Amino acid sequence: MSYNEIFQHARASGRTLLTEVEAKAVLEEIGVPVTKTRLARSKEEAVRLAGELGYPVVLKIASADVVHKSDIGGVKLGLHSAEAVGAAYDEILANVKQAQPSARVDGVSVQNQARPGTEVVLGMSKDPQFGPVLMFGLGGILVEVLKDVAFRIVPLTKRDAAQMVREIKAYPVLEGYRGMEPAHIPSLEDTLLKLSEFAEQAPEVREMDLNPVLAYKDGLLAVDARIVLEDAG
Amino acid sequence: MTNSNPKNRQERLDRVFNPQTVVVVGSKKIDEYNWLKNMSTFTGKLYSVQIDPNEIPGIEELGITNFKSLKEVPEPIDFVLCAVPRPVTPRIVQDCIDVGVGGVVLYTSGFAETATEDGIRLQEAITKMAREADLMLVGPNCMGIYNPKVGVRFGQDQVAGVSGHVSFISQSGSQGSGFGLECQAQGLNVCKVVSFGNGVVLDSPDYLEYFAQDPECQVITMYVEGTRDGRRFFKTLRDVAQRKPVLVWKGGQTPDSARATRSHTASLAVSSTIWDALIRQTGAIPVHGLEETVDMAKALLFTKPFTGARLGLLAVAGGHSVEIADAFSMQGLNVPALTEASYEKLASFFSVIGGSFRNPLEGGGNMASEEKVIDILRILEEDATIDAIVVEMGMFGRRNLNVLERRVKTLVEFKQITTKPLWSCWSGGVTRVDPEAQQKAALELQEGGVPVFGSITRAARAMGKFVRYSRWLQEQ
Repeated sequence: MSYNEIFQHARASGRTLLTEVEAKAVLEEIGVPVTKTRLARSKEEAVRLAGELGYPVVLKIASADVVHKSDIGGVKLGLHSAEAVGAAYDEILANVKQAQPSARVDGVSVQNQARPGTEVVLGMSKDPQFGPVLMFGLGGILVEVLKDVAFRIVPLTKRDAAQMVREIKAYPVLEGYRGMEPAHIPSLEDTLLKLSEFAEQAPEVREMDLNPVLAYKDGLLAVDARIVLEDAG
Repeated sequence: MTNSNPKNRQERLDRVFNPQTVVVVGSKKIDEYNWLKNMSTFTGKLYSVQIDPNEIPGIEELGITNFKSLKEVPEPIDFVLCAVPRPVTPRIVQDCIDVGVGGVVLYTSGFAETATEDGIRLQEAITKMAREADLMLVGPNCMGIYNPKVGVRFGQDQVAGVSGHVSFISQSGSQGSGFGLECQAQGLNVCKVVSFGNGVVLDSPDYLEYFAQDPECQVITMYVEGTRDGRRFFKTLRDVAQRKPVLVWKGGQTPDSARATRSHTASLAVSSTIWDALIRQTGAIPVHGLEETVDMAKALLFTKPFTGARLGLLAVAGGHSVEIADAFSMQGLNVPALTEASYEKLASFFSVIGGSFRNPLEGGGNMASEEKVIDILRILEEDATIDAIVVEMGMFGRRNLNVLERRVKTLVEFKQITTKPLWSCWSGGVTRVDPEAQQKAALELQEGGVPVFGSITRAARAMGKFVRYSRWLQEQ
C-alpha cells in the first residue's frame, strides 16, 4: 500500500492516528530505515511471523487506544524462541485486558529486536503560522527533561539539517563520547531532509514522532513511530 | 498578497513609492491639516479631496486645490493618503478602484486591531474590495510611506530632499517615525520607510520583495510583530536575505509583550524557538530596539563584509582604552599585540607620558596633534596583524569643538587611503559632546564613509554581529 492508500484506509476506519505498522510502512516508503514490523492477529501468526523475521524479536500491543504501551505490560523484548513468543503474546493480551479492559485491540506487532544504539528523536509538528516544523534531539530523559532539542521550519536545506544535528548540547554524545559508538551524522541529516520533503508533499500529516530512532556508526533505524493525520477535511 | 504577478507588482509599488501626483483625502482643521502639511515637501503635484464645506476654506488657504471627489481630479493619481473616518473608508477605497489610482494608504484605524465585530467586518470588506480589484493598498491603521527624495512624508519633523540607502519596513507607525528621526539625528539618510499597519493586502513580504529589487536600497531593516502568511514570510525572507542584508526586529517576543502585539496589530504570538529557527534558516540579522537597528544599518552601509577579527583600537584616554579593549574582546574579537616593526615606529614619536601604544592605544597627549594621529593610523594600516581599526572620538565640550572638527577631517582623509575597515565611536552617555556638533560630525564622518556609533559598547556589539554576519555570507 502506498502512503496515500494507508491514509485513506485509516480515515475509512475513522482514525487519524496510524497504527505502528502503518506508520512504519509510511516511513519505509519515504526511505527511512525502520525495524521490520508485522501485525499478528493470533498467537500462531505471531510465532510464524517471528520465524520469518528472524530472532530475537519484540512483541508490542497493537491498539490505537493504548498510548503508553510499556507502562501496562504491552511490550515484551528479547524473545529468542517460538515458545517465548507464544507466551509473550498471551501475557501481553492479558496485561492489556486487565489494565485497559475497554481498549480496542488489533492484535500484537512483531518486529526484529534492534541492536542497541544511541537513542535520538525526530519529529514533525505544525506551527499555526509557519506550518510544518521539524524537531531533533537525543532520546530518553534528555529530550523530556532538558528540552535539548533543535527546531527548523520546513522546507529544510542541507545546511539546515547539518546545523540542526550539531546544535543540540548533547552533540558530543553523537560524536562518540568516551568510547561510545558514534552516530552516522549523514544518515541523521538525510533522514531530516526526507521528513522535510514528506511534510511538504503530504500536508494531510499533522504530526510525526519517530521515538526512538537508534543511531549507529553506519546508519540508523526507527524503532517506534507515531503518525497523526489532520482531521478529515 | 495581491493577484498581480510579482514583476508587475514591483513596478506598481514603485509608482506608489515614487509618486508624481498625491491626493490627501480627509485632511481637517482639527489636526491643523496635518496630512497636507506632511506632504508640503512633496516635489510633485499635491491635491486635496474634502467634502465638508467647513474644512475647504482652510485647505485652500494653504494654496492647495481641493476637489469634492477623487473622480474630479483631472489627472492620473499615483498615491492617495486616506484619513477619513472609519465608516467612510469603503467608499474612498471604491473611488480609488474606479479612478485607477496607483495605490492608497489607509491611515484610518479602528479595524481588526480593536477586536470588535464592526472593525473586523469593515476590514474584511475593504480587503475583499481591494484584492478583487488588485488595488495596491497600504494599511489600514498605518502611517504609510516616507520617501525623503520626493518629499512624501508622514511627519513634519521628517527631513526631505535627501536620499540614503537604508529602508525600513514597519508594522508600527511610531517605530517607523522613530527610525527615520533617529537616522536623521545620527547623520544617516534614509531611502524609504513604510509603515503598513494591519497589512491586509500588501504585507511585509511584498515590501521585502520590493526593496530587494529597489536599486536605491542597499540595506533592508524591518520591525514586525506578526505576519498573515508565516510560510510566505519565511520563504521570502530566506530569498531576500541571500540578496541583501535584512535586519529584523521582532516585537512581542515574550508572553507579556505578545499581549501587546495582539491589541496593537492583531498579531498572534510566535514561540521563541520557532523564531530562532527562522532567523537561523533565513540568514536575516536579528536586532532588538531602535539603537541596534540603526547601528547595524550603519555597519552594513559603510563597511564591506570582513571576517578577520583582529582589531587595532585607539582611544583618547586611559579609562576609555581599557573600556574599548574590554568591549570588543567581550564580543569575541581580538586585540592583539602589534608587530615589533610597528612598536619601533611608534616608539620613535609617541609620547608615553599619559599614553600607551601596546594596543589598545591610549593616545593621550599625542592626540593634540593630528599629524601624530595620522601617523598612528598609518602604522595600524601597515601592520599585518590588524584587520580593522576603531577610533574612539573622545570628549568634546564647547571649548574644544575645533579639535573635533580636525579629528573628523583626519578620519575622513585616512578613510580614503586605508584598505582596512575603519569605525569610530563616541565615548558614550549623553553629556559628553555638544549635540549639534555631534550630529554635524556624524554626518561628515558618514558621508566620508566612516560609521560613528553612540558608544564604545554599541560599536563593539555591532561589530561582533557584523563579523558573524560576514562569516555567514562567506559560507554561502
